[in-house]
Amino acid sequence: MAVITRHDKRISERSMADSCKTRLTVIVMIVFLHLVTASILQASVLDEMSIERWKDLREAERYQMQIAEKYYREQNWKIAAAEYEKFLTLHEKSTGASFAQMKWSICQVRLKKLNTAIKDGFQSVIDYWPQSPDAITSAYHIGLTHKEMGEIKPAKKAYQQMLQKYPQAAVTAFAAVDLIDIATLENDIQTQTTLWKKLTHETPRTSDTRGVCENASRQYAGFLLQHNGVSEAVKSLNTTYPEPSLLVDQFVTLSVAAINLLMADQKTVLEGEKLSDAAASHIRTLLPSDVSVPEQKIFAHKCWFAIADLYAASKRPEKTEETFKLALEKLGRNDEILSRYAQWHKSQTQFELARQIYATLENKIEGQAQIAYSLREQLKYPEAVAIFQQLAIADVERPFHWLSEAATTHRHAHAWMPAIAIYQELLAKDVDHTDNWLWNIGITQRDGGMLKEAIGTFRQCNNFPNNYNEMAGCHRALKEHNEAILLYNQVAGTDENWAPWALIQIAYTREEAAQPELAIKSFQQVCKRFPKNQYASQAHAHLQTKYKITVTLGGAKDE
Amino acid sequence: MQQDLTGSRKKHDRFTAVVGLVWSLAIADWFLTQKSPAWITAIIFVGGAAYFCHLARKTSKHKDYTLTKLNLLRSFAYVTIWTLVVWSADVIGFREASVQFARCGTGGCFCIGLAWFVWGMEHASQRFESQRLARVKSSTLDRHQSSVEIIKPTWQSWHPLNIHAWYYGRRSPRLRQSLAGLMSYSFIFMLLLLVCSQINGCQELYEMPAGGGVQQTIAQTVKLQKVIKKKFVINPFSAILFRVPPIDEIKLQLTEITKHAYTIGYGAGEGAGFAGGKKQGKVRFIRLEYTGGDWDQDFGVGSDLNMLAEYNVRTSHVVAAQTESRTIEQLRSFPVGASPPMVFMTGQGSISISSAQTKILREYLLDKHGMLFIDNGGSPHFHNQVIAMMKNILPQVRPAAIPLDDVIHRIPYQIPFLPYVAPHGGKEALGWRVDGKLVCYYHPGDIADAWADDHAGVSPEIWEACYQLGTNVIFYAHSEYSKWLSSRGTTKE
Repeated sequence: MAVITRHDKRISERSMADSCKTRLTVIVMIVFLHLVTASILQASVLDEMSIERWKDLREAERYQMQIAEKYYREQNWKIAAAEYEKFLTLHEKSTGASFAQMKWSICQVRLKKLNTAIKDGFQSVIDYWPQSPDAITSAYHIGLTHKEMGEIKPAKKAYQQMLQKYPQAAVTAFAAVDLIDIATLENDIQTQTTLWKKLTHETPRTSDTRGVCENASRQYAGFLLQHNGVSEAVKSLNTTYPEPSLLVDQFVTLSVAAINLLMADQKTVLEGEKLSDAAASHIRTLLPSDVSVPEQKIFAHKCWFAIADLYAASKRPEKTEETFKLALEKLGRNDEILSRYAQWHKSQTQFELARQIYATLENKIEGQAQIAYSLREQLKYPEAVAIFQQLAIADVERPFHWLSEAATTHRHAHAWMPAIAIYQELLAKDVDHTDNWLWNIGITQRDGGMLKEAIGTFRQCNNFPNNYNEMAGCHRALKEHNEAILLYNQVAGTDENWAPWALIQIAYTREEAAQPELAIKSFQQVCKRFPKNQYASQAHAHLQTKYKITVTLGGAKDE
Repeated sequence: MQQDLTGSRKKHDRFTAVVGLVWSLAIADWFLTQKSPAWITAIIFVGGAAYFCHLARKTSKHKDYTLTKLNLLRSFAYVTIWTLVVWSADVIGFREASVQFARCGTGGCFCIGLAWFVWGMEHASQRFESQRLARVKSSTLDRHQSSVEIIKPTWQSWHPLNIHAWYYGRRSPRLRQSLAGLMSYSFIFMLLLLVCSQINGCQELYEMPAGGGVQQTIAQTVKLQKVIKKKFVINPFSAILFRVPPIDEIKLQLTEITKHAYTIGYGAGEGAGFAGGKKQGKVRFIRLEYTGGDWDQDFGVGSDLNMLAEYNVRTSHVVAAQTESRTIEQLRSFPVGASPPMVFMTGQGSISISSAQTKILREYLLDKHGMLFIDNGGSPHFHNQVIAMMKNILPQVRPAAIPLDDVIHRIPYQIPFLPYVAPHGGKEALGWRVDGKLVCYYHPGDIADAWADDHAGVSPEIWEACYQLGTNVIFYAHSEYSKWLSSRGTTKE
């Protein structure tokens, strides 16, 4: 019996950790996929030559192309364009000519000559090499470039032509994505749904189009959920997430977003509740009947939490609580469910109830830590510090972590001296993180107004230029302007990235030291030396508004 | 018989009142909504004018007419005729004539109104005087006062129509009353005029300079003057030896003629200008006044006036003597087809625009084919404000970076880079396009500072490019407007 309990406990801990990890991974994945993958895939499809075609090039052609590609990769667009042009002049009949012409056009786009790129570049590829694969890519680029210029009508026309002419090409999927974007702008729901559907269910998922199709399936599911089409949404997500565990994560994320949107408007509150019910009942159908297998148990946890999240999003606390109780009943008491249950109470500002549940956790250290965190959240600092200090003794694995938390709590309470005392204790005991503790001591001294001591502490830190900036800040607060300027000068002279910031700080310091003429000179120096930097803008505006000086000596050009 | 006459006069008066009311309603409709069909308005205006003219003529022939009544009817006749003329000119499309008629007519109205005001003032002061005399007479009889004391006025009155009000003094009170009356009347008249102009009444016109030209990048031609070679007739048997110089030593006499190859403008007219422009038209630089920030940054002499002057030098287009400013509400008073092709907007603070103003701006950009030229005068905050403002005005249009080879960056000057004084809102010019035409050009880096006298201390290369860019934007707005006017004309035909 005892063996089973320990086993269960281990499973519970592992499942909790796994669940957290999966959730985090999914969120990161969504953002990453949404923002980066599509563009990377797009880039790889659109501006690289296939190996087969590369093989067909002659040695001289390859040599010239490699030079051009090298500059292209270095984003030296002007030289790259010249090299592609050279390729075209030398090897006009080559199979790589269309590719060189297309890349030349992309270089023109990067050089902000978008009209030239369309008329003299992409269009030429279509006209002179209509059978080459670059013609299809160029057709897409014409639409894309028009869109980048804000010319929506020609962009739309180009994309629609692509969809008709090359329905099977991989690039057409990108055209469809851009058309969806335009349709969103024009509130054209019909086009949106048609294209999402096509990308989700009809477009073959190759290595090039997978990202685009997966994204479309998520967007389509999100749209369907907003319009209460739960089963259709699940079908759409199934195309991307055949594995139930990932499907549930994605389904819940999208459902919660849709419910939040519906609940925000008084008119659609009922629809929101309806959606949460429908989504919850769908999740219930996925609940495993046998939870003796560890994987199934983990999945069951995920499903119950998903149901609770759905009810919580539709702002029905009684149903959420009922779900947690049901989960405890079905899966037995375990820390994972109790933690989530307590967390939900915290989100409802029922701190006492949350603490009561935390106190019952089998993992006592975790339970006590959560109690301390909740006390800190409620500004009950002495009680929180007491618990953290107890934890530092009880938890032999992480005593420094809990001491650090105690010090942080003291800092929250503006109790600077006890915080410093703890950090000094840590400095003495935890030699592996000396820099960190020194930095924390310095910050606490600075916040506590012990500026001279803070300067001394920062001086011992090794994180240049941050420590110098802090020291200079302390000197400014002490009205020791010359010392501050000296430090800022050292920062400006050593670190190029920090130079504009340091220079403008010098100007502000001179202003504080009642040296307006020198301050003006320093501000003008920022404008003159770093005309393209954001601090030049700040200095320019400051000179105009504060000193009524129009001659700021800036000025630059963006080519 | 007497009763019949009184009855018919009453009926007649009622009918006149009805005609007056209908006419007033037609005027209100024309001023405010313009919802009635033109033919109904025409009937009312023509009928009203004819009726009052007829009435005035009939009254003057009548034996027992009073001069006051006759003048009153003449005044009504004047107003109805004036309105009819202004309206007709406007409907026919003679905008300029309509404006001139409106101006002259307003002057006439002022004079007629002044005459009536003087008449009323005199009438009232005489009544006060007679009342005073009657009062004094009765009190004299009672107290047996001397005649000198009788005429002496009381200095207690406050009434402005009473000539003996204390503030008119003892010396020439009539003159002072008249002057005060004139001033008050003028003030009230101006106030009414201002109110009317705010209620969509008075229209302002923007007229482009007439002419034509080509919308192309400035190109320079270099012509080589032909040098006629001197021919020498040489006698081979001559005693004089003629040495032919080696070719390297020949000095060519070349004269370079450099000039612009074409006239900057749009259309087939003569001289630099725009098709659809007017002879007295000029390019104006109108700045938009808005609440929330400093709209008047770099305004007027030594600042944006420099840009206008440079535009004149570079394009030979006629320009206004001064730069101007208008509120967003005032943009509404420009009619479709005669509104400013471009208005300039700058600042570094917040932009606070109401929903009504947003509507006016949307109408200006879409229906009146206008364009906003926005310059970030000093903060990233202003950049965000511009983006938010444009999102409200044109929710379906996204800003896009304007390429360097766009028409606006090519004509009349080829701009190879975007010049800026300070990168307040990034380093790229943004544009909002509707049907391919830029309706808003946003410069992120204080271009107006480079136009100022001291050019913000930037290098000559930058401020010259800033002037060129300014010229390009103004020219783009005007040529696009001219194109639109031409296409409107063609559509109408």
